[in-house]
Amino acid sequence: MSTLTNQAYAATPSQRLVAILTAATFGLALVFISGFASPETIHNAAHDWRHSHNFPCH
Amino acid sequence: MILRVLKAALVAGFLAACVAATLQTFLTSPLILQAETYEKAAAPEAHAARFGGMLHLAHVQHAPSDAGEESAWEPGEGFPRIAFTALATLVSGVGYALILAALILAAGRRFDLQTTLRWAIGGFLAASLAPAVGLPPELPGMGGAHLAERQIWWICTAAGTALGLYLITNVRHHAAIGIGLIAIVLPHLIGAPHAEAAASDVPAALAAQFAARSLAVAFAFWATLGLALGWYWARQENRTKSGFLSQAASGTGERKAV
Repeated sequence: MSTLTNQAYAATPSQRLVAILTAATFGLALVFISGFASPETIHNAAHDWRHSHNFPCH
Repeated sequence: MILRVLKAALVAGFLAACVAATLQTFLTSPLILQAETYEKAAAPEAHAARFGGMLHLAHVQHAPSDAGEESAWEPGEGFPRIAFTALATLVSGVGYALILAALILAAGRRFDLQTTLRWAIGGFLAASLAPAVGLPPELPGMGGAHLAERQIWWICTAAGTALGLYLITNVRHHAAIGIGLIAIVLPHLIGAPHAEAAASDVPAALAAQFAARSLAVAFAFWATLGLALGWYWARQENRTKSGFLSQAASGTGERKAV
């Protein structure tokens, strides 16, 4: 039963690859927007976080 | 699979942001506000000239000569500023959680508490501590070298340290350990870009306290991120297991009834 259960919720290699690529792309985009993006509005909104978390800010 | 990763990253990012935003409100934001009083006191034109016109004085009232120019939106003082800082923390938190989950999946590791905490501490070393060795956390008014150069050095250092840590702790081959050490040390041998005249009106004691508090908050942020990722992943896995078991049990029951 346990083998059957493990097979039932384990992901296939292709599902796994899609999950890895999607998570990495979204993750990098979110960190870039909050930490590095240069438009002044985004910079001003995230200003204190950038300083607190040591992203180069000014 | 992708839904499970997204859900776990959202929960982990949210919890890490709650912890970090609270700590920032009491530990780092007051120091930023204090530093801005020194930044305001200094003549903005002199600063802009000193840093090659690249310095952007956020949250500083512009000089009367700038009044005619259209200034970009910025959150108001008090609650809006705290709220937007927390929002930025949340965006980064979810982003870092997604990257962490992608790396753990790619390495073929299990999402238990110990693993996710270990990888999150690796995240702290790579994205917080290593860049801080060359570019210490800065308060407003402490402008350094050209922004783009520092950002590129920051990204290369974080990526190099992450790669080095992976090679040393997971591959464990002599050559891999050697390459890993080089990847960690090389950005520091090249050196972080610094301004030639990095004079500042911000007191050194304030800057030192900010740097220490910033790293402490970063550690709390990463530790919460790792623990929450492992905890929520295990919770989802248990739910899937128990859901399937109950389905299987009811299926057996139906067959018996027939």
